Amino acid sequence: MKIVVCVKQVPEINNVKVNPETGTLVREGVASVLNPFCEYALDHAVGIKSARSDVSIVCISMGPPQARSALMRCLDLGADEAVLLCDRKFAGADTWATALTLASAVKKVSPDFDLILTGKQAIDGDTAQVGPEVAEILGIPQITYAVDMEVASIGRRVRVRRESENGYEIVTARMPALVSVVKGEMLRRMPSFADIVAARGKPFRLVNADDLLLDESQLGLQGSYTRVVRVFPPCVRKSGRKVEGLEALDAAHAIIEFLRAEGFI
Amino acid sequence: MHEIHTKTCRGARLEAVRQISGFTEIGKGYAGYLTDESKYPGGKADFLFFPRDESELSAVFKEMASCGVPVTVAGARTGLVGGCVPLSGAVVSLERLNEIHLVYYDECSEEWRVRAQCAVSLRELDRCLLAKSFPWIEKHGTEESREQLARLQKDPRGYFYPPDPTERSASLGGTVATNASGARTYRYGSTRNWVRRIRVMLPNGELLDIPRGKYFASPSREFLIYDSAGTPLHLKIPSYILPETKNTAGIFSAPSMDLIDLFIGSEGIFGAITSIDVALLEREEKISIVQFVDSDEKALDLVETLKDQKAIPLDFLELYSQEAIHLLRDRQQRDSKSVGMPPIPGEAGAGVFFEFSFSPDSGSTEFEAIIDAVRGCGGDVKNSWAAYEPRELDRLKNFRHILPETVNAIIAERKKQHPGLHKLGTDLAVPANCLREMWRIYTERLRSTGMQWLAFGHVGNNHVHINILPRDMDELAQGLNLYREFALEAVRLGGTVSAEHGIGKLKAPYLKVMYNAEHIQEMMDIKRTLDPLSLLNPGDMFEVGSS
Repeated sequence: MKIVVCVKQVPEINNVKVNPETGTLVREGVASVLNPFCEYALDHAVGIKSARSDVSIVCISMGPPQARSALMRCLDLGADEAVLLCDRKFAGADTWATALTLASAVKKVSPDFDLILTGKQAIDGDTAQVGPEVAEILGIPQITYAVDMEVASIGRRVRVRRESENGYEIVTARMPALVSVVKGEMLRRMPSFADIVAARGKPFRLVNADDLLLDESQLGLQGSYTRVVRVFPPCVRKSGRKVEGLEALDAAHAIIEFLRAEGFI
Repeated sequence: MHEIHTKTCRGARLEAVRQISGFTEIGKGYAGYLTDESKYPGGKADFLFFPRDESELSAVFKEMASCGVPVTVAGARTGLVGGCVPLSGAVVSLERLNEIHLVYYDECSEEWRVRAQCAVSLRELDRCLLAKSFPWIEKHGTEESREQLARLQKDPRGYFYPPDPTERSASLGGTVATNASGARTYRYGSTRNWVRRIRVMLPNGELLDIPRGKYFASPSREFLIYDSAGTPLHLKIPSYILPETKNTAGIFSAPSMDLIDLFIGSEGIFGAITSIDVALLEREEKISIVQFVDSDEKALDLVETLKDQKAIPLDFLELYSQEAIHLLRDRQQRDSKSVGMPPIPGEAGAGVFFEFSFSPDSGSTEFEAIIDAVRGCGGDVKNSWAAYEPRELDRLKNFRHILPETVNAIIAERKKQHPGLHKLGTDLAVPANCLREMWRIYTERLRSTGMQWLAFGHVGNNHVHINILPRDMDELAQGLNLYREFALEAVRLGGTVSAEHGIGKLKAPYLKVMYNAEHIQEMMDIKRTLDPLSLLNPGDMFEVGSS
């Protein structure tokens, strides 16, 4: 059984600040990490692998050379092979161009795949579009918002528990299929030193635009139907005053004084 | 040269210094300034000052000295021995001296340095170095300092400040005053090794500017300080020989010592450090590993083997004892997410936490020394956690922090029944060849009492923190006796009563365990010369009333 996990490298969002003058992200000194939802997707793949003996996992990412580190983490966490789609021609891709490139890469590196797993969304763009678009381009069934899944031991079917507004739904799809996952109840894993050593010996492939069966006009900015016009932070509410270092009674007095001074009581 | 002249700081009036007056007002609205992380009880003060620069600090010191008011200096208040808890008089918080003024390349020593005011936190310093962004220099720096910054920004290499006390919100000044250390002391030494220059405000309100390598003790072991009136102050350095272990008990002393070292680690009893130049090191990527093994003995075996192997220099070597692992596993089983880690392996009976430089793209053969060491101690590298990305490294650090946090939570719960209860945490270090002996003493004595205890910390420096968790007041008394017994044993083995926490107020009684009366008198003579009325940080290092 072959599982493809599509992953993305993102800035560590907790440390990203927005330049108030330009409205752009200040990325200096901010570490890049594997998108958490992609890690959850990989965790599901590793979970399936631990229950079956015939599973291989390949992780694919489109990004600059630095995205290698996100794929290395995938190898640390149990992926068998990593593929980095890296070419200047991919730059500036919107969700459609990204999905088209990924779908083309899947057909090239793992044409006989059974299952594609993606995160629900990347935490830097938050679009949640790429996974479903990959499924549409490949013409396969898709199940979104998965929290749990199992692959039937007989027959090519994946059974998924997915979040809905009212609770959970159990959905089954024939494979090949694509499943996008949310956080669910998973506890983040940590590789062992043995895993990290082993990862250094696993295959890592670089794929460029010429390796894919796509026209240049379908790639990157050229192949994008949408443009980012402006990025700006939401209005920030003024932070409140914190009463600290006081006993409960004194703290209550301080709050009452404040409320009085502000005319609330 | 052993003679130095003070500098005067004029221009500020006490009235101009931001201040809060009155015992009640401070107690109500500023209670945080009456305590620190040690929770040392009984802090009280009549004045609270927030000087914004050296001239304001000087005005405070001079005025308080003229009125005979004791002054306690506070940094970030992260200390563990009550050093900045005021017993009376005034508290001076240095928190407004919080800018980084210069980053420069020292051509002689071929190293990058930073000049920062004392209240800059370690976290802020690291953040600025990581981003190579120094807002104060960019806005207010001289042309030359902006050129130096531009040079740093063009340098493709990253730099960091090696000392890493666990508490990242600690102020740089506080860490210099206490010669703070931490896990990475194993490789990089304590704060002292990285300080290149300090400015110190003496109790008389005058400044000393001390670069490293300029003022050394005379052959008769003396320094001579001239104040602004030309009065000579003779400082005779103590005659004791310090242990070869990591140590923060007592003031530094060595033949021909550098004057800067007298102030580093002196816990502020001689003066308040206002500005510091520190050296930086090229930043390297690291991998941290928590290696689980069967037992405490196997963990100590692994520690020794890792120390003996020279192929891969380690940054730190920390221990999780069997009881520590049990405590964390128990917490994890009650709430799987509370520890923030995957389940601790069932077979884990102890753990060793260590770190070394690592390039994520390097080949696997480089790690054989580590793998062999683990295997040689009956371990398996599959039973480990390893991380090299910053956020994953933070997870392992948090796992380390959760341990004392869990201990504190247990004690807090027991305090509901026994309000006077507190945990007992040792800070003893011994020479490397005595680690096993000290461990035997700890385990035999503790197991014989039946008290709850655990061990963790800097085993690489032969500095394991024993935490005793008394269940009631009887056990507390029993634990205190054990603590003293352990301190005596550590000193007997050539170690120290305080390897990193310092003495402060909390551990002042233990200074007498390590030093005889003559040696303590030698320290107090220096104190009396610089602070004749004992007004600065009273109760720190020497108990109030000792003379």
